[in-house]
Amino acid sequence: MKDKLLKVFVVIILGSLLLTACGGGAKPTSVSNPTSVSGEFVCPDPENKVTVTSKELNLYVWTEYIPTDWITCFEKVYGVKINREEYSSNEEMYAKLNAGGSNYDLVQPTDYIVGLMIRQGLLQEIDKNKLPMSNFNPSYLNLPFDPGNKYTLPYEAGTDAIIYNSEKVTNPPTSFADLWKPEYAGRMVFLDDSRVVIGMTLLTLGYDVNTKDTAQLDAAKTKLAQLIPNVKLFDSDSPKTALIAGDVDLGITWTGEAFTAQQENPAFKFVYPKEGAILWQDNWAIPKGASHLDAAYAWINYTSQGNMFWMMLRDFPYIVPNQAALDYAKTNQADLFNAYMNSTITNVPLDAIANGHRIEDVGDATPLYDKIWTEVKGGQ
Amino acid sequence: MIKRLRENKSFQGTILATPTLIFMVGLLIIPLILTLIISFGSRSADGNVIYGFSLHNYVRMFGFSTDCQNGKSTCFDPLYTQIMWRSLSLAFNTTFLVILLAYPLSYFVARSHPKRRNTFLFMVLVPLWTNFVIRVYAWMMLLRTQGVINGVLGWLAGLFGLHFLPLEMLYTPGAVLVGMVYEFLPFMILPIYTSLEKIENSLYEAAADLGANPFRTFLKVTLPLSMPGVVAGTILVFIPVMGTFIVSDLLGGKQVILVGNLIQRQFLDARDPTFGSAASLILMVMTLIVTYFYTRKFGFGEEIIAV
Amino acid sequence: MNPYRRSLFIRLTSVLVYAFLYAPILVLIVFAFNSSRTNVNFGGFITHFGPLTMEGSTVIQSPCGPFHWFCELGKNREVMGATKNTLTVAFISTITSTIIGTLAAMALQRYNFKLKSFTQVSLYIPIVIPEIVMGIGILVLFSQLFTFLNGLFGITGDARLAMGLPTVIFSHIAFSIPFVTLVVQARLQGFDKSIEEAAMDLGANELTTFWRVTFPTILPGILSGGLLAFTLSLDDFVITFFTTGPGGTTLPIYVYGLLRRIITPQVNALSTVWVLIVFSIMLLLQRVQNRNT
Repeated sequence: MKDKLLKVFVVIILGSLLLTACGGGAKPTSVSNPTSVSGEFVCPDPENKVTVTSKELNLYVWTEYIPTDWITCFEKVYGVKINREEYSSNEEMYAKLNAGGSNYDLVQPTDYIVGLMIRQGLLQEIDKNKLPMSNFNPSYLNLPFDPGNKYTLPYEAGTDAIIYNSEKVTNPPTSFADLWKPEYAGRMVFLDDSRVVIGMTLLTLGYDVNTKDTAQLDAAKTKLAQLIPNVKLFDSDSPKTALIAGDVDLGITWTGEAFTAQQENPAFKFVYPKEGAILWQDNWAIPKGASHLDAAYAWINYTSQGNMFWMMLRDFPYIVPNQAALDYAKTNQADLFNAYMNSTITNVPLDAIANGHRIEDVGDATPLYDKIWTEVKGGQ
Repeated sequence: MIKRLRENKSFQGTILATPTLIFMVGLLIIPLILTLIISFGSRSADGNVIYGFSLHNYVRMFGFSTDCQNGKSTCFDPLYTQIMWRSLSLAFNTTFLVILLAYPLSYFVARSHPKRRNTFLFMVLVPLWTNFVIRVYAWMMLLRTQGVINGVLGWLAGLFGLHFLPLEMLYTPGAVLVGMVYEFLPFMILPIYTSLEKIENSLYEAAADLGANPFRTFLKVTLPLSMPGVVAGTILVFIPVMGTFIVSDLLGGKQVILVGNLIQRQFLDARDPTFGSAASLILMVMTLIVTYFYTRKFGFGEEIIAV
Repeated sequence: MNPYRRSLFIRLTSVLVYAFLYAPILVLIVFAFNSSRTNVNFGGFITHFGPLTMEGSTVIQSPCGPFHWFCELGKNREVMGATKNTLTVAFISTITSTIIGTLAAMALQRYNFKLKSFTQVSLYIPIVIPEIVMGIGILVLFSQLFTFLNGLFGITGDARLAMGLPTVIFSHIAFSIPFVTLVVQARLQGFDKSIEEAAMDLGANELTTFWRVTFPTILPGILSGGLLAFTLSLDDFVITFFTTGPGGTTLPIYVYGLLRRIITPQVNALSTVWVLIVFSIMLLLQRVQNRNT
C-alpha cells in the first residue's frame, strides 16, 4: 500500500521535473516577429519610481492583453508579486465585481460598462496627479463615458467592423446591410455580442445603436431573425480561428483579430461599413476596496511609459491612445511603428472615426436586448 | 460527554454524520434556499435584485410573458419552453446513443478474462482523466471544415478519383450531440460493466443448457440483470447533459442554446439573476422529476458508485 | 464451453467504440508536434534543432526540435501555477471528503439517529442537480457572506475575506462527500457483521475491532471513493469557474481561457503530458494490483 503510493508520487514528481527542466528565463512572447526571436529583454527603469509597500498586486484583466515582459519587469523592479486573473467578457468581470467578495486591484472595463460600474459604486476615483496623463493623445481623454477621467485611464482602443477573405469573397461587402446578401449564407462568423449584432442591425435601419424604443427594437429583431440562419457561428473569443481555418469566409470582428488574421493570410481585408463602425475603448480602472493601491499606481505609471507601452504594438495590435509609446516606437522600433501606421486597421482613417458609433449602457432595456438575442439565436 | 458517547449509539451516529451535515447544509441547502429567495425577486434597472415575492420569473419560463408587444397583459411566448424542450431532447438522445454504444463494450469487458478486465477498464478511464475542456477542443479539431475527418475523407476520395466537398460538421446541433455522447460515454460504460460483471458464468451456461439461443439469453437473463447499471448510468449521463454549457458553446458555435447556456447568460450578459435563479431551480426540478420516474420504474442502482 | 467467448458483433463494436474514445486523444497528441503555430492544419513535424526560426506562422527550427511546444509549456509559469493549484485542491479535497464521507457512511449504515433521513437525502442532491445550479448557489452564498462579514468586522485590505483557492477547496469537498459516502456505504452493505462479532467475542474492544477487522475490509471502498473524489476534483470546471478568485486558477479554468486566445499547439502539449502522466499512474496501479492478487 505504501509502496504503491510512493510509486505514484515518484511518477508525478518526475513528470513535473521533466517539464521544469525545459524551463529557462522569460523570453519575449512575440506574435508578429517574422524571423528569429531576440535574446533576453532588458527592463527599463521606472520614470517616476514610487515607494511600494504592498507585496502583491491582483490584476483582473482581459485574456491576451498584457505583454508577459511587463509582468516580469514589474516584479523585478518593484519586487511585487503579480496575480493575474483573466476574463473574456465585460459581463463576466462585472458579475464578479458586483457579487462582492473579490479582491482585485485593477480591472480593464470597456467604455460602455464604465457608467454602470460607477453607478453601482464598484469603482473608486483615480488621483490624476499620480498618473502620467500627459502620455496620452487628448482625443482619447475626457470621453462621454467618463467625463474628466475621474475613474478611468485609456488603455487600448479599437473598432468592430467587417472582415472578409478577398480570395474567397468575390463580391465584398461595404456596409452592414450587405451582410444580408444570400450569397454569404453559411459563411459568416459574428461576434457573440448582443449589443454589437443588434446594434449593427439598428444601424442598417437608420436607428441609433443605443435605442430603447421598443418599436425600433422590434423592427431590428425581425430583420435580424432573417440574417441569423446565415451565420455559421458566433464567437467573441477567437473569431479569427474560424476565418483562418476556412470554416467561414467573412464576418464581424474587432481590430486585434483582424490584424492577426491578416498577418496569417494577407488576403483578409478589414473594411469600415458605410453605416459606421462600432468604436470602443478599454481602460484601466481601480475597483473600490482595492487593497494594494500603491502597487496599482506604480503599475499604471510603469507600464504607461513610452519605453514599456510600445510592446503593445509588438504583441497585441490595437489602436494605441498612448502617444508616448508611439513616439518611442517611431524612433526605436521603426518596423513596428511603420506596420502600425500603414495599416488602416490600427491607424483608423479619420472619417471612419467620425462616422463611428459608441455603445453605451442601456440600463433597464438590457433584458430586452438579451431577450431579442435569445429569441433570434434560440428560435431554430 | 465521553461516557454519553460510549453508551448512546444514536449520539455516536450523530457525531459521525456532523461534518457531512455541516457541509451539505452550508454549501448546498443554504445556497439553494438563497437561490430560491432570489428567484422570487425582480430585476432592478441595473441588474440587481429587488427582493419581494413574485412568481413572474417562473411564469415567464413557462411561456406567459408579462411584457407583451401588443398591449395585452399576458401573452404566450414559447421561447423558454422551446429551450427546455431542446435540452430535454438532447439529453434523451444523448442517453439513448450512449447506451447503444456503451452496452456492447461493457459486455465485452465483463465477459473477458478476469486478468484482462482491469486493463480494459483502465483504457476506458484514461480519456476520462484527460481534461474535459480539452476533449471538446479535440473534437473541434476533428470536425472542422479543414479538420482531420474531412482531411481523411478528402484523401480517400482522391484515391478513388472522386470530387470531394468538405462536410460542414462543426458548429451544428449534430456536433453538439457527438460531443455530448463522447464526453459522457465512460459514465455509462462503468455502471453497466459493474452490474454485468456480477452475473456469474453459470447463469449463461444454464440458459444455454436449457436451450436458449444467445438472443433469448440476452433478453431474458442479461438485460434484466443489468438494468441497475443502465439506470445508474442514465442518471450519470442525463443530468449533466441538461446542465452543460461548454459543449454547446464550443461545438455549437454558440447557436445551440440549452438551459445551461440560458442560465449562464442570465447571470452574465443579461444581468438578470432573478430570472437565472428561477431557471436554475426549474432545471433542478426537471431533472429530479425525470430521475424520480425513471428510478421508480427501474429501481435505483447501486452501480452508480462503480469505479 | 469457453466462458470468455463473445460474438463477433460484440468484439467488432467494442473495437469501434474504443477507437471512438481514443481518436480525439490521438489527434491531440499528434498535433502537439505540429510545426504550424495556428494549429489549424497539420504542418508536419519540426525536424531541425537550433535557435528558434519561424517562417510566417510555421516553426522551421527550434532548440527542442519536434518537442518545441513542450519546452514552451515548461517555460509557461501560468501552467505551473495552475497545475499546482489543481493538485493542491484535489489532494486536500480528496483527503478531507474521504474522511468525512467514510464517517458519514458508517453513521448511515450502522446507526439510527434523528437526522438520518435528512442526511441521506441531502447527500443525493449534489448528484442529481446540475453543476451550474450548485456553482451559482455557492457563489451567491459566499459573496453575500463575505460582504456581510467584511462589513461587520470592518476587515479591509489583504485580510479581507474573498473568493479564491480556499473557496474552491470547500466547494470541491462539498460535491465530493456524497460520492465517497455512496461508495463506502455500498461496501458496508455487503459487509458481514458476524466477523466483527467474532472478533469482539475473542476479546477485542471496539476500536481494535474497527481498526483490524472492519477498516481493512472496507478499505477498497474507501480507496475507490477517494479515487472518485480525486477524479471529480481534477476535472471540475463549472463549480470552480463560479467559486474561484485571484490566484485560484486551476488547470481546467486555465485551459478554457487558453482555448479562447490564440490557440497554439501548447494546449496539445499540455494534454499530451496530462495523458502520459495519467497513463503511467494507471499502469503502475495495474502492476501493483496484479502483484497483490
